[in-house]
Amino acid sequence: MSDPSELYEAILHGDARKAEAVTKAALEAKVDPSELLQKQMIPAMDEVGKRFECNEYFVPELLIAARAMKTSLELITPLLAEAGAEPAGRVVIGTVQGDLHDIGKNLVASMLEGGGFQVVDLGVDVSPEKFIEAAKQKEGTILALSALLTTTMTMMKAVIEALEKEGIRDKAKVIIGGAPITQQYADEIGADGYSDNASAAVALARKLAG
Amino acid sequence: MAIAGLTIIGETINDSVPSTKALFDAGDVEELLELARFQDQRGAGYIDVNIGSRPPELMAELVAKIQGATSKPLSIDTPDPDIARAGLEAYDPARAGGQAPILNSVSALRADMLELYRIQPFKPILLVSEQVVDGQSRPCHTAAETYDATRSLVAAFREQCAGATNDDCILDPGIAPIGSDTEGNLHRLITAMETIRADADLAGVHASVGLSNFTVMLPPKRADGSPLKSALESAFLTRAMPLGLDMIVGSVKRKYQLLEPDHPAMVCLEECLKASGFDVLMRVREFYS
Repeated sequence: MSDPSELYEAILHGDARKAEAVTKAALEAKVDPSELLQKQMIPAMDEVGKRFECNEYFVPELLIAARAMKTSLELITPLLAEAGAEPAGRVVIGTVQGDLHDIGKNLVASMLEGGGFQVVDLGVDVSPEKFIEAAKQKEGTILALSALLTTTMTMMKAVIEALEKEGIRDKAKVIIGGAPITQQYADEIGADGYSDNASAAVALARKLAG
Repeated sequence: MAIAGLTIIGETINDSVPSTKALFDAGDVEELLELARFQDQRGAGYIDVNIGSRPPELMAELVAKIQGATSKPLSIDTPDPDIARAGLEAYDPARAGGQAPILNSVSALRADMLELYRIQPFKPILLVSEQVVDGQSRPCHTAAETYDATRSLVAAFREQCAGATNDDCILDPGIAPIGSDTEGNLHRLITAMETIRADADLAGVHASVGLSNFTVMLPPKRADGSPLKSALESAFLTRAMPLGLDMIVGSVKRKYQLLEPDHPAMVCLEECLKASGFDVLMRVREFYS
């Protein structure tokens, strides 16, 4: 039987095959899936995030680790659901209307999944109406908006205005990011948070979900 | 460093570059002009001008002032028709030795920007990495989609712009960061360029990519301390120039060179082209680790 702590190492080093094998072995040995998630998987992704922020890891390492995490998550998620375990929170993510860039958005989505969040990815070129519709499905949803262009970042404000118009601004949190975005811009448009990288976005989402 | 046959569109006067944005925010036109002069002296063939979502009047003012600081032709870089119009109206070909400006960029969904050709003939960068599906703009995921987008946009340009020829077209087939390329974008791009190259009706078109985008999110150096980004970008140029790539939106500071087939960056690029999914990332990681 594999040692569950090997799962931490497998995710940290992005070894998806090993992550899958160790997860399966642990589940067969009746290890609590919730314990696997909390003690091995999420700490591994937290360490990945730390290494990324101090330039020890770069985007390839981030994505490879997130894939390993996802491999294990797919095995344990049904069991967690059966046991009634709740995800860290619900995030609806998308690139705003008029913008087709998806790399940063995908990266943040992967890291959020790795951080234990339920992630609904609406894709690119997402209208304010689609964000609103998704936010209405569950109170406390975090809307994560991405934009790479100075000409499309204004759509972030449109999403917040649409939430206000619908009278549900207090039912959802809005976080924003992308190359032209700054904390100043987030403050100007009344967003709940801003992050300049995928790892910090997870910490931000945890803070808002907490 | 210059490569024969490669024209650099100097990329630094762009509102999305943080240091340049600070100049825009401070209204420091003199320093913006200095960026133009610097890129001119370092060999840029064109000077890109992107003001973000600032007023069209600023584009007009900058175009006039930059043309007073350099005789290189300009690339008016905006998706906004009003900003594009202001830049093109202000542009004086006589100050650039008679050379037309570039309009960066025209996509299928913004094809009406070609009407601006009447007020100032330009060389459009045609965004052939996008296609229109059900009235919505979507990224091209295959070489065939990229090729179809090319044929359609080049045809629109030749039909709508009297006197325009293939030589006036610059295709942008879209380059994505290799460090996150799990969806075969590099393979799509190279295959599309091969297909375009083989089409006699498209003979003479130019091609450009935003080359710095290829290596974003990667470390600056390999584990042995040698430069990573210029090596991988040079490998891309070595692979793509024989297929018709003859322009880049890029940095005049980067030391580009054509590489031998056994150069480690070249070997890495070729293996990435043969790989798929996460194996591409693994191969890139192996190159710099």
